[in-house]
Formats: sequence, structure tokens, C-alpha cells
Amino acid sequence: MALYDNLPLQKAISSISSLPEVKDPEKVYADITRQDYENYLQDYRGFEERLIAARDDTSLVDQAREDARRQAQIAGEIQQRDIERYGGAGLSTVQRQEQQRALQRQGALGLAGGLNTALISQRETNQRTLADLINIGQGVNRSSLQGLGDASGMAANRAAAYKNAKAQHSANMISTGAQLGTAALMFFGI
Amino acid sequence: MSSKPKKQNYQATAQEKTQAAVAKAEKDYFDQTYAPLLREMRDTSEREDLGGLARGTSQADTMQALTGGRPSLAAATSVDRAADIASGAVAQQVAASSQGLAAQRQRQIGVLGTARGQAADAQAGLAQAARTASTKQLQAARAKQQIRDARFQAGLDVGSAFAAQGAKNLGSYDTKEFKDREINKPGFFTRFLNPSSVYGTEDSMGQSRMKYGTGLYGLGGDG
Repeated sequence: MALYDNLPLQKAISSISSLPEVKDPEKVYADITRQDYENYLQDYRGFEERLIAARDDTSLVDQAREDARRQAQIAGEIQQRDIERYGGAGLSTVQRQEQQRALQRQGALGLAGGLNTALISQRETNQRTLADLINIGQGVNRSSLQGLGDASGMAANRAAAYKNAKAQHSANMISTGAQLGTAALMFFGI
Repeated sequence: MSSKPKKQNYQATAQEKTQAAVAKAEKDYFDQTYAPLLREMRDTSEREDLGGLARGTSQADTMQALTGGRPSLAAATSVDRAADIASGAVAQQVAASSQGLAAQRQRQIGVLGTARGQAADAQAGLAQAARTASTKQLQAARAKQQIRDARFQAGLDVGSAFAAQGAKNLGSYDTKEFKDREINKPGFFTRFLNPSSVYGTEDSMGQSRMKYGTGLYGLGGDG
């Protein structure tokens, strides 16, 4: 109740009284829907095309390559800082070489594993995107068929109405002829 | 006899006018308020790098987990510690990128679905408007045809009645009195328009409906 108490009544009334007058609702309706569709074409068609193209996206795989290289570099730098922090840490040359080899080996394995994982994820994401796009496309197809069905139905109705009107007119003319004939017969007393 | 239909009787009611006005106001409000929000979300979904955000968070978590403790001699001397860090970090980065991309796609699909839903609404609205216009057009055509038929039929009825009455009038002259008359013999149109009673007994004046209807009384007629 307090919510409504705070509402300025005069403002509400003036808002309602300032509603736009709709003189021709049909025209307004047609204009709005046409404008909405034009807005869609202008605002979302490009976006839609980019999203459709994204079903072939490879950004995860590309990123995985970069990630493997970068993470190996970071890990190597961490190792180097730790060794320097402890003055060489008493490591022999052979141990240092083994550390490097282990890092390289793990880097290669990490790249392979990362790429495999990225490929699977990429495929999954792209497939999901494709499925979602197909679902949207089904709706587009459905609504467009509905629109075409309506249009063809209306055309058929108009054609049928015209045919009926012609038939009705023809029947009227025949009836008129018959009446005129009857009147003529009466007139001439035949 | 019923009067002609009045256009004002077919005007929209106050309820219909208000309904249309409210709907138009709401549509304008939607266009001004909500439509820009969807466009904003469209731009955000394309521009925002959710993968980068996720990778950054993931990297921080990974390093906190694997190097978060104090530096130690054991860690410095470990042969495979750096390799483990690299391996773990790569896996985390790939997972983060996947999550980020999936979230971005989901958001983009949501935007497109909503936009497409609005476009479908627009198409349905246009079809509805066309259907309404078509129905109106058919009704108008039917009404015009009915008016044409009715006018023609009315003319025909009047003409038929006119001819029938004329024939009846002409028939009323098929008597010996008129056939034998040598002077003041009424002509064809006079006989057609007036029954023989007009020229008969004086008290039959009022029977001439045709004469009365055509205004012959008072115009120097022969009654």
C-alpha cells in the first residue's frame, strides 16, 4: 500500500491522458511490424551471420598452442628464479640438464594434451552452437512458412470470393432475364 | 423502412481506442527502453573476452596452488617441478578457454534467439495486419456487390411493376366502348399510364393510381 501511496496521482493521470491517439490501428500495426523487421535486418543480420560462421571456430585450438608455449616459458622462468634464489641450489650440470629436458618433455606433452583437449572442447562448443542455430533456424522456417501460408490462404480466399461474386452476378443476370421475359409476356398478353 | 447505416455507429469504442493507445505506448516504451538493451547485450557478447577473463582467473589459481607456498630448496632442486607446473597450467588454461567460449556462445545464441523471436513476432504481426486488411477488403467487395445487386433488383422490381401495371391498364381498354370510339381515343402511352376507368364513369377517378402517382391530376388532365 505504501508503494501506491508514493505514486504521484496527478503524474499518473497526466501520463494516461498523454497516451498517443491511434487513428488507424491497422496502419500503425503494419508500420510497426515492418519497422521491427527492418530493425532486425539492420541490427542483427550481421551478428547472425558472424555467429553462423562461428560454428567453424578454431580459437580454442589456436589458443591452446599459445598457452602451451607460454606456460612452458613461465614454468622455466619460475625454475630459474628458484635456482638463483638458492645460489644454484647445489645442482650439478647434469641435474640442470635433466630439469631442462623434463620441462621440454612436459611442454611437448602439455601441448599435445592441451591440443587434444582443446580440439574436443572446440568440437563440442561448435556442435552446441550449431544445434542452437538449427533450433533458431527451425523457428525461422516455421514462422516464414506460417507467413507464406497466411498469404496464400488470403489470396485463395480473395480468388474464391471473386469467383463466387462472378457466379452470383451471373445467376442474378439470368434471373433478371427471366423476370424481364415474364414481364414481356405479361405485357404483350401472350 | 430502415435508415441508411451511419458511419459513426461503426467507429471504435472508447475501450478499443484506449487499448490501441496503451499498446502503442507500450511498444514505444519497449523500443526506447528494452530494444537498446538487447543491442547492448549483442555488442557485449561479441566484444567481451570471457575466455581471457577465465584464463586469467585460472592462471592465478594455478600458480597459487602450485607455487603459493614459500620458496624451498626442495622445490628448486626438483627435476620435474617446473614441468608439472607447465603441464597443470596448460590443462587449466584450456579448460578456462573452453568455459569462456561456451559462455560467450551461449550469450550470443540467447541474443540471436531473442532477436529472432522479435523478428518472428514482427512477421506474425505483419501477417495478422495483412489478414485483417484482406478480410476487410473482401467484406467491402462483398458489400459493394450486394449494393449493386440490390440496386439492380430494385430497379428491376420497379420496372416489372411498372410494366405489369401498364399491361393491366392496356388490357382494361379491351372493351367494346373503347374499340368503337372514333374520337378522343386515348393513345398508347395514355392507355399505358391510365386504366380505362379514368375515361369511364365519373366515380372511378380515385382508382387511377398511376395517374395520381405520375402527377397527372391538376395538370389539365382529362379526369
